[in-house]
Amino acid sequence: MNFQKKRTIAMLLAGGQGSRLHVLTRKTAKPAVPFGGKYRIIDFPLSNCVNSGIDTVGILTQYQPLELNEYIGNGQPWGLNKSRSCAQVLPPYERNDKKSGWYEGTANAIYKNIDFVDRFDPEYVVVLSGDHIYKMDYSAMVEYHIANKAACTIAVREVPLAEASRFGILNTNPDNSIYEFEEKPAKPKSTNASMGIYCFDWKVLRDALIADEADPNSSKDFGKNIIPNLLNAGFKMMAYRFDGYWKDVGTIDSLWEANMELLGKNPEFEIRGEKDKIYARNSALPSSYIDEDAKICGAFVAEGCEVYGTVKHSIISVGCTIGEGALVEDSVVMPGVVIEAGAIVRHAILGEDSRVCKNAVVGGAFAEGETKKISVTSKGAVVETVLLPGEMV
Amino acid sequence: MRVMGIIFANDVAVDALTEKRAMASLPFGSRYRQVDFHLSNLAAAGIHHVGIVSRSNYQSMMNHVGSGEEWGLELEDGGLEFLTPFALGNDDRYRGKLENLHAVLDFLKFAHDEYVVLTDSSIITNLDVADIVKSHIDSGKDITVVVKSGVANGKKVLDLALKMEGQQITDIVVSYPAPEDYLASMDLFVVRRDWLIQKVTEFVAHDKYHMDRDLVLGQWNAGTISINVYRHEGVALYNESTAEYFANSMALLNKDIRDDIFNAHHPIYTKVRDRVPTYYGEDCEIENCLIADGCVLDGEVEDSVLFRDVVVEKGAEVENCVLMNKAFIGEGSELKYVILDKDVTISAGTKLIGTPSAPIIIKRGETV
Repeated sequence: MNFQKKRTIAMLLAGGQGSRLHVLTRKTAKPAVPFGGKYRIIDFPLSNCVNSGIDTVGILTQYQPLELNEYIGNGQPWGLNKSRSCAQVLPPYERNDKKSGWYEGTANAIYKNIDFVDRFDPEYVVVLSGDHIYKMDYSAMVEYHIANKAACTIAVREVPLAEASRFGILNTNPDNSIYEFEEKPAKPKSTNASMGIYCFDWKVLRDALIADEADPNSSKDFGKNIIPNLLNAGFKMMAYRFDGYWKDVGTIDSLWEANMELLGKNPEFEIRGEKDKIYARNSALPSSYIDEDAKICGAFVAEGCEVYGTVKHSIISVGCTIGEGALVEDSVVMPGVVIEAGAIVRHAILGEDSRVCKNAVVGGAFAEGETKKISVTSKGAVVETVLLPGEMV
Repeated sequence: MRVMGIIFANDVAVDALTEKRAMASLPFGSRYRQVDFHLSNLAAAGIHHVGIVSRSNYQSMMNHVGSGEEWGLELEDGGLEFLTPFALGNDDRYRGKLENLHAVLDFLKFAHDEYVVLTDSSIITNLDVADIVKSHIDSGKDITVVVKSGVANGKKVLDLALKMEGQQITDIVVSYPAPEDYLASMDLFVVRRDWLIQKVTEFVAHDKYHMDRDLVLGQWNAGTISINVYRHEGVALYNESTAEYFANSMALLNKDIRDDIFNAHHPIYTKVRDRVPTYYGEDCEIENCLIADGCVLDGEVEDSVLFRDVVVEKGAEVENCVLMNKAFIGEGSELKYVILDKDVTISAGTKLIGTPSAPIIIKRGETV
């Protein structure tokens, strides 16, 4: 069968376990974790692709893929189900050659899908990950990559020096070409952190993936192997500077923060507006009902909710019920959560379909300067009486 | 057994709200259009072949319904057909549904379905069409008429109403303010397709075109039709005038009515419009409201229904209003008993006060 030739396709790494999200990823792959009231993390890279004119996306899944697969479906919410576009879920599978079996690293995952990429015969492949919240025009990065005749271009952003040792750091020449890459350096030489967004010449990447597979000591990872190898081999590599909002939501704290940064009249991250819209699979729920005794301030409330209590500085996702006299403050309430009458929820992330029983207390208030400990409930969990600050269930 | 659906878009203008659009595309319930309820009812019964009969003002409805994919109608076989004036022939007089059906007789003739569900667009309800079809088949009667008790009140003019004693129909009236003991038709009928084709052909040949008067009442009087009466026990909201539209919008603030119309096991689908969740500002006061996505609320809103992308600025007071998509309520303005059509801007400090029976209607796109 003939596939349409594509200039650029995207490969989205969505197979990670996301263990630092603890109970939130117990039953769900990280990219399928709900965000911002009606989205899931994967909506951001997928919508960015569509908004950048990239209409062919391979989505590599491995850990707990069922919910993610169902969510992506045929790609219809992102307009990726048309005759010239696709959102193809690529789980590991058995075959009778080296490309058989589980994905053993980010590079290995793409290696095992070389055949998929080859079908589109692309010039450029954009490699993305499914754990960042941001809006970015990948096509501008691809144009930059082409204009600089690079073999590989990596999106970078400035991070505070104190945090630089948590990231892959790219040391660049004045023309933004990269001369050195250090994965989580103890003494960083610069503050250009890799965003985990790569643009490759497919021919270069294809050869590098095959070469890396031949190395028995490789951990088959982009950051640890592919990028340093290409640099050592003398390929031209460019840093593409991005100064918009970008947040790694790989931890409980950062996920909570990123949600809170949506709130306010002038939020840190503006997801409103027709430009660079973020698309999501929408549920067929009616509008939200706000009762006469409800009080809501500085909060997002998505559709399909019934609010009878008080909501302050929180994100209430689709299909939630906030009971009479209940208080929800500084919290992220994921889809389908029920908070019964008189319950108090503070500084918490409540996982999908979890329930806080009548008069139960989750989390607590914090003194000025005290480290905030977020309480977390997993999907479907029930809090009958108390969940202490920082506790997870 | 295959069943097809025909939805009459009802493009005879009732008032300012339907002046430029068919009843089917009138926004209702904070995020829907009237036709969504009928399409969803048909979809829930597994009906995948639907025609929408519309003579004029159909553009916004076609735009809304699109390929019908939200209702599972984007099919090669069956699917959705718009039966617009071109399909309806050159005659631009609208006299009745039988004439409309005659104009689209080919749509009926070329179908492979055994039964046809016919429905209007003005009544909002969540009903079990599959059960109605089953009741029709089990009854062996010519036509099933779906009725609702408690609608007839001696004042409201009903398209079709009937009186029952036990299982027997004792009276049928058309276009009449029937008294309380009458059952109001919900403008939803089930018939066999071949029977319908035969009747439509026969009636139009005799210059009879009115479905309720000629087909139902006339034949009942003549004793030439057998009628199966199906009582709908759930909610039915008749949006046949501005006052009714307004009262029914407010009725959705009642939980029991909402739970019936938006039955979780039988969702109402609508065209997907990606919007962010509504943002409730630091000082907003929202009481007893139904609110869609995409709004930014900083003022006071009470006893109201808000569609998508409504902005209520600080110090504005909104009470007993229906605000359709993209209404902008400027700082310090005051609105009571007002219906704002889409894209209306209320400038800062404006005061608009209507009454429950005569709410003020501001037309689409206007600035006050």
